Amino acid sequence: MTPQADLLPGTLDLLILKAVSLGSPHGYGILLRIQQISGGALLIEQGALYPALFRLVRQGFLKASWGTSDNNRRAKYYELTSAGRKQLREQEDGWNRLVAAMRLVLGARTEEV
Amino acid sequence: MKLLAYLRSLVSTLFHRNHEESELDEELRSHIQRHADDLERSGLPRAEAERRARIAFGGYERVKEECREERAGSRLESLWRDMSFGVRMLYKNPGFTAVAVITLALGIGANAAIFSIVRGVLLRPLTNRDEARLLYLRQSVIGADDVAFSVPEIKDLGTGLKTITELGTLSQLDFTVVGLGEPREISAGVADGNYFDVMGLKPTLGRLLTPNDDGPNAPGAVVLTHRFWTTSLHSDPSVIGKTIRVGSFEGTRSAVIVGVVEPSVPYPVETQLIANIVTSPHHLSATMVQGREHRMTEVFARLAPSATLDSARAELQTVYSGMLTAHPETYKANDHYQLTVTRMHEQINSRANTILWVLFAASGLLFVIACSNVANLFLARVVRREPELCLRAALGASTGVLRRSLLAEALVLCGTGLLAGVLIATPMVTVLGRYAARFSVRAVGLTLDSSMLWIGVALAAIAAVFFAFVPRLPAGDGSRGLGLSSSSARVAGGSRGRQRVFAVTQITASFLLLAGAGALLRTLLVLEKTQPPFETAHVLAVNLPTMTDGRTPEQVRDFYRNVQHRIASVPGVEHVSSGFSVPWRDSRALGIQFSFAIESAPRENGQDDPRARFRSISPGFFETLGLPILQGRDFDDRDRDGAERVVIISQSVAKQLFPGQDPVNRRLRWTDPVMRFIGISYEPRRIIAVVPDMDDEDLIPSAAMTVYQPSDQEWVNCRLFVRTKNDPYALVPAITREVHEIAADQPVERPSTFDDIRSEVMTPDRLNAVVFGGFASLALLISVIGVAGVLAFSVSGRTREFGIRQALGARPNDILADVLREGFIIAAIGVVTGITVGYVCARALAKYITEVQTPGVLPLLASAILILAAALIASAIPAARAARVDAVQALRSE
Repeated sequence: MTPQADLLPGTLDLLILKAVSLGSPHGYGILLRIQQISGGALLIEQGALYPALFRLVRQGFLKASWGTSDNNRRAKYYELTSAGRKQLREQEDGWNRLVAAMRLVLGARTEEV
Repeated sequence: MKLLAYLRSLVSTLFHRNHEESELDEELRSHIQRHADDLERSGLPRAEAERRARIAFGGYERVKEECREERAGSRLESLWRDMSFGVRMLYKNPGFTAVAVITLALGIGANAAIFSIVRGVLLRPLTNRDEARLLYLRQSVIGADDVAFSVPEIKDLGTGLKTITELGTLSQLDFTVVGLGEPREISAGVADGNYFDVMGLKPTLGRLLTPNDDGPNAPGAVVLTHRFWTTSLHSDPSVIGKTIRVGSFEGTRSAVIVGVVEPSVPYPVETQLIANIVTSPHHLSATMVQGREHRMTEVFARLAPSATLDSARAELQTVYSGMLTAHPETYKANDHYQLTVTRMHEQINSRANTILWVLFAASGLLFVIACSNVANLFLARVVRREPELCLRAALGASTGVLRRSLLAEALVLCGTGLLAGVLIATPMVTVLGRYAARFSVRAVGLTLDSSMLWIGVALAAIAAVFFAFVPRLPAGDGSRGLGLSSSSARVAGGSRGRQRVFAVTQITASFLLLAGAGALLRTLLVLEKTQPPFETAHVLAVNLPTMTDGRTPEQVRDFYRNVQHRIASVPGVEHVSSGFSVPWRDSRALGIQFSFAIESAPRENGQDDPRARFRSISPGFFETLGLPILQGRDFDDRDRDGAERVVIISQSVAKQLFPGQDPVNRRLRWTDPVMRFIGISYEPRRIIAVVPDMDDEDLIPSAAMTVYQPSDQEWVNCRLFVRTKNDPYALVPAITREVHEIAADQPVERPSTFDDIRSEVMTPDRLNAVVFGGFASLALLISVIGVAGVLAFSVSGRTREFGIRQALGARPNDILADVLREGFIIAAIGVVTGITVGYVCARALAKYITEVQTPGVLPLLASAILILAAALIASAIPAARAARVDAVQALRSE
């Protein structure tokens, strides 16, 4: 099994936005999707997911509606709002910059300095 | 967009709560179902799959709660929910709620009321224009620290000042006024033309006095004070322009009423009208204008725009010192003449200051007691609710959430207390305002200050936060075996310690209040117990103000002799005489003291002449009062103007100046420089009798050096003393009729028995005792409830212990004594702390206030015994309950 990494604070919201943008419509699906993409490396506490979803709805990044799922169960579906899409883009860029910078610093050798 | 989302969330939180709740529930359930479906697919039986899914999900209720908190307006909503829960909880415990609300209402109400008074009397600025620049001047000498000024002194002081724009002067006189309804004697001020400008007052009607009204040739002009105009003249505007006759002791003049001054604080005496100088012949006399020691004028000053109080003080001190050096014959070095300059505002407050701040401290203590008590009740309740709180904690409520629900409950409680407090504050202000009016004219007609509501709100908020944060709460993790079933409460352990602290605090504060009240009560008791050495119940004093209008001094004397003669024959009258001052009432006249010397007793070098009270009386005065003449004879008809001058002395004069000798037929003469201004001669006078000391000035008699003169030789008497067989007041109509038959327009005023005058003078002491006694009994009551509550709680927590002890052979009496001892110890610690705190405070205060009196041992002892006794009685009920504990039942309950 892949070693699990602790979630950095503040990253859960970004992961949720990404998972929703990839087409994961409801809470359980979002959870599965994140675990699946990260190859089980990112462990999300199930209970923490829903408060985060409520927060994102309150902040206007997600929109929720009720519908019927594949196996005829009523489910709450989430989709990105335009503000949510913008937020996702910005956060992605921010992360990429941070990761690139981190990689540069961590990959440095003595002679390059 | 964001705002819109927030609002949508807020709306659904607030208005679609049930809907939201069920959706939340459905969403979370469907999550678990899906997870279970997946697990089932991987081969687990359905039941096991669901179990694992639920475990993986974590605390279901806690997640729900966290989701709720993420919604907009969740704080508002949960506070609202907590509050309504609080209201329900309080409604279910009416006893607790009633005690807590009443206690808080008393604490908050008393503070709000006292604050209204303090603000109204001490802090509110005066109505006078630019009141901070208004100064009051006073001088002091050894033996008299509050001396007015004479006209020459004012002239010396007031010329060429740079830091003062102007001086204003006022002297108080009694005027007999004819032309405003019934002839009457009123208190009047004679002011110079700058007075109103210096005071910074405006007219309500007409005009005020100006420098044009000064001088001997100006027409008489009178300004009415607002209070007199509204109360006695019913705000009649037509009085302006009216001509009245005003009579003082040197003659009568006419004057025109020119205006009414705006409402303002009268100081140093309340007067009904203020007249210009020409209305008082005395003010134009050489005595007044040239007599450097004829001091009867108050001096006010207005600070120049650029000057400060310090610079004015410095300049006035320089001028004053110059004046002292220029007149060494008047200002003897060992009299230590000194000038004091104070802000008018501070001067007016000086008397009310201490009393009001002490009251403020008392109400503060009451608040502390009230809060401690309610905090105790709250603690006990939290402990009793421990199972409920533990359950909530175990279900995922964080400490913050529990704290918030306590806070909501405390807020409901304090809010109710505040409302009740405001309701009782209104009558309290009325009562306390009447009380404060005895010390400060500014308290007259004071009403509840609306800003005191904020004080109440602040106090209530402080109390609520305090109550909510004092109890220790069960930890949210629920891991350390917080048993729901076990009654050996962990919370109770910590709370019991805190409860004791609060109980001790209450006892300490009540003890302080009780000791203070005890001291005041003792003062009052001493006053009431002290009986004057003369008849008081059946002697009536009546004021017959002098009407000098067109009469010679001899005619005036004849009038009074005539009155006495006629009243003596009224049935029911036993004896009649007259004098110049009514005991305890005419404080100004009673304060007259002159220096004198006895003949043939060489004056020791450097020693001042002795001073004695000067009293002018008619023959028969001592008989009317029932005082025996110890030696010699009373004044009689022989002692008229022109005959040999005679005096009667009091026993202490005889003892001090004629030790071991017979004073009768020796001679004494007045030596006071003031004599020459008031028409009393320096001729030697023969002592014809000695009478017992009779202190007519103080309620607690002291050795009163007094010299009596017959009014037929000098001076004039305007107070009548009538001793009657039965009810003295029944004779007032007859006396009035007799007087009016001789002179129809002669005012007959303020008939009152000596007894009533005495109790009138004692009223402030009585009020002090009542007000502080009231505070103290309230405090005692609250803290007794507090101690009883703490013990009752402690007993109920120790049922098991008592059961075991009984099982091991302890007798019920041992347990009873044990609980009583606990109560006694709490009270004893409180009393000891009280004595310590009181001692420290008294020491600290002594630096600022000179007149700190430590209550004697007796009040302290009495308060201590009272508190300890009350604590024991309060402990008796829980103690009895503890002693009745049934061992078997107590152990089974485990």
